[in-house]
Amino acid sequence: MRIVDEIYFIPGTPFTSMRDVYLVGAGQSAYGAFPSESYRSLFRTAFEDAVESVPNGLETDDVDEAFIGTLGVGGRQLGLSGPAVTEHVGLDGVPCTRVENACAASGFATRQAVQAVKSGMADVALAGGFEIMTDMSSDATKYWLGVSGETEWERLSGTTFSGVYAQMASAHMEEYGTTREQLSRVAVKNHANGAKNPHAQLGFECSLEDAQSAPVVADPLNLYHCCPTSDGAACALIVSEDVVDDYTDDPIRVAGVGAGSDSVGLFQRDSYTGVPASQHAAETAYEMADISPEDLDFAEVHDCFAIAELLAYEDLGFCEKGEAGQFIESGATELGGELPVNTSGGLKSKGHPIGATGAGQVVEAFKQLSGKAGERQVENPTRGLTHNVGGSGGASVIHVFEKETEVSA
Amino acid sequence: MAAITAVGAYAPRFRITAEAFADAWGHFQASGISEKAVPAADEDALTMGYEAATRALEAADLTGDAIDWLGFASSRPPVAEEDLTARLGAMLAVNEATTRHVFTGSTRAGTRALWAGIDAVDTDETTTGLVVAADAPRGEPDSELDHAAGAAGAAFVLEASGPADIADRAEYSLPYPGTRFRNTGEEETQGLGVTQYDRQAFTETIGGAVAALESDSSDDLEPAAAAIQAPNGKLPYRAAGAAGVGTDEIQAAATVHKLGDLGAASVPVSLASALADGHESILAVSFGSGAGADALVLESDGSVPTQIDLDANTDTNGEDDEQTLSYAEYLRQRGVVTAGPPSGGGAYVSVPSWRRSIPQRYRLEAGRCPECGALAFPPEGACDDCGSLVEYETVTLANRGRIEAVTTISQGGAPPEFAPQQSQAGDYAAAIVELPVADSAGTEAGDETVSLPAMGTDAAPDAFAVDDEIETTIRRIYTQEGVTRYGFKVRPTA
Repeated sequence: MRIVDEIYFIPGTPFTSMRDVYLVGAGQSAYGAFPSESYRSLFRTAFEDAVESVPNGLETDDVDEAFIGTLGVGGRQLGLSGPAVTEHVGLDGVPCTRVENACAASGFATRQAVQAVKSGMADVALAGGFEIMTDMSSDATKYWLGVSGETEWERLSGTTFSGVYAQMASAHMEEYGTTREQLSRVAVKNHANGAKNPHAQLGFECSLEDAQSAPVVADPLNLYHCCPTSDGAACALIVSEDVVDDYTDDPIRVAGVGAGSDSVGLFQRDSYTGVPASQHAAETAYEMADISPEDLDFAEVHDCFAIAELLAYEDLGFCEKGEAGQFIESGATELGGELPVNTSGGLKSKGHPIGATGAGQVVEAFKQLSGKAGERQVENPTRGLTHNVGGSGGASVIHVFEKETEVSA
Repeated sequence: MAAITAVGAYAPRFRITAEAFADAWGHFQASGISEKAVPAADEDALTMGYEAATRALEAADLTGDAIDWLGFASSRPPVAEEDLTARLGAMLAVNEATTRHVFTGSTRAGTRALWAGIDAVDTDETTTGLVVAADAPRGEPDSELDHAAGAAGAAFVLEASGPADIADRAEYSLPYPGTRFRNTGEEETQGLGVTQYDRQAFTETIGGAVAALESDSSDDLEPAAAAIQAPNGKLPYRAAGAAGVGTDEIQAAATVHKLGDLGAASVPVSLASALADGHESILAVSFGSGAGADALVLESDGSVPTQIDLDANTDTNGEDDEQTLSYAEYLRQRGVVTAGPPSGGGAYVSVPSWRRSIPQRYRLEAGRCPECGALAFPPEGACDDCGSLVEYETVTLANRGRIEAVTTISQGGAPPEFAPQQSQAGDYAAAIVELPVADSAGTEAGDETVSLPAMGTDAAPDAFAVDDEIETTIRRIYTQEGVTRYGFKVRPTA
């Protein structure tokens, strides 16, 4: 993989000269299967929830720009699907761009919102996402689920994402001795967290035995190693340092951002046991935030498949390369552990409405840092990370959010 | 006349026994067949022809570019209208300007192709001909024809002279409608089943062709083996008198008892088997409904290079149960009881896009970056190593390599394009494999490898594991908009 340097790090352009940006609100619809809801009605729920979450209030008229992530499963609203939801919630006339980076669509929409505010072109930007995935036949769903992979070669060797991630799992198991039981522990942990999240689609606990005996989807991955298909929407509100005081007295700064891209097909990458785009995104975000992984108090990582969460532990530096299996086994990433991961339940339990997922992770970060995560609240966190991956690693985006005690103005 | 200089033959790995049919139907209608070969869901006459042809070329130590005449014969080609020799030739890396012919329309098509190949080599225009015959007959499930229907292919390299000389030939034709036919647009081959009439058509035309041989008139024809058309396991023996041979000679070349009715490949596969067994004098007589017969006399010195794979393989566990089908599994593999593809849109590879990838899918062509020398697959886009936007130099990959990552795709894990195959053939392996660069003979050269994704075939999915050695072959990938796309898959090395 070749990496083009982040614009922030081009010599002579110190990102510190740009203004700081803040997360002042975030909200989401419940994730699940909702035959009575439309993508617009779900988006409205998420938008209203986000606006309501802003401590000092926010008017719709304040929004300068919007970035909306969606893949468009089922061919729904193929063109202009961004404006289709923003006008629905009354953001008439607001510049709106639809962002598509597969499952990382709204993680990248968030990045766009951060850039718009940092650059000075907007003071208040909306980053959102939505997807409806459950209102069609299982056959039709599969047609659309495979579309974010490398089509001509990877898909036509008989794989969708479950197969590609299963191949990554096979390579990781072969090289590092990772076990099926360790994969199942990801499901057990995330379900335990999701059971504490009222917005979770699969908000029930599962036993290690359940998670090991489920039907095989793509060996070694069984049903409990795979996230569900979901309907849902999520929104986050990003503002500049110039206006943040209008909205909150407890600002949450977007301390680090990083992103990367790579070959869409797994077979074209140098490594099958890691996601280089995520490694690069993490490096960049940590450098910008001037932190190391040890400084994080929680993380929402992209666990579309159990192996993806284990790879994320390594790619994001939570543990050494090859040790993710032992890391999950140690309990370090459970609620109450040294670094709780996917307190929301993750994609596995909370759900994975493709276009909404990245913004939905930001919702969890906002809740945790605002102390509003209820039963799953991490004790007094200062700093959290969100990690959103498109496809099997063709795109990856990371944000680090940090609670400030006083506004740095 | 021309000579056969190399032979290849192939039969699919699946078998079904007469008992399995008897259990399902209460009786088995194909007399004289104890078991038969069943094509896998991703096989058809074209892929079996490819399998046989690659074996013949390997036996001849030739590559496709040496072939200047190509014939392909099948009574059941996978398309009724479209010249499959274009695809077969591309799979075998035969030159674009090579003469090609398709032979079909009856079970006599295989010997018709041999006949035409002999004619071609007899002229000075053709140096090396390749005759490929492959077939998988199919009838209504309760018909004698379907009970007998097997599957296999054979291929012959023809040159002006060689170890197996074609000494004589003759043909004979008489109108006998209704013995075996498939009207335009129909799926299943049928016959009226007028027993004595059918036998008469068979013996009279065979007798006529043999009688027309010059060597026969002098009564000096005493073949050690007789490859006689075998719609079932009894009929060829009924023609012993007409062909002037004994049942032992027919038995010596018979493949029908273990492989079933091979249609247009019946006589070619028996002939391949007889040559491989080292018989020095062989009579080959086909029969095709309509009716007509071809008789060929071969004199061999017993040294024809052959590569014959007609036996059921034992899989890696040393058990062949996986390859012996129940009748229900037989119906599934053949797609008799499974649905077609689901409706839907989504990821779509247009036929023009697919066609652009044919050099990769058929012949494993990768690219070498002229800037940094790195390998690329597929050979397009910026070099993954140095980032240069280049025109790649074509390099061909060897057909043997190693598995880097693999999964077994179960129900729910397959793209919908593969739903029909999965319902027919069950779970399958999907792997990333690394293949080394090939030398001019197609075998591995050096340590350089490039990775590509490939579906597993020809073995149960648990026969594929990381680090295992695999070889490539060509199979049906999937069918969309009525167009079947073929490309490489991988199987455990033999």
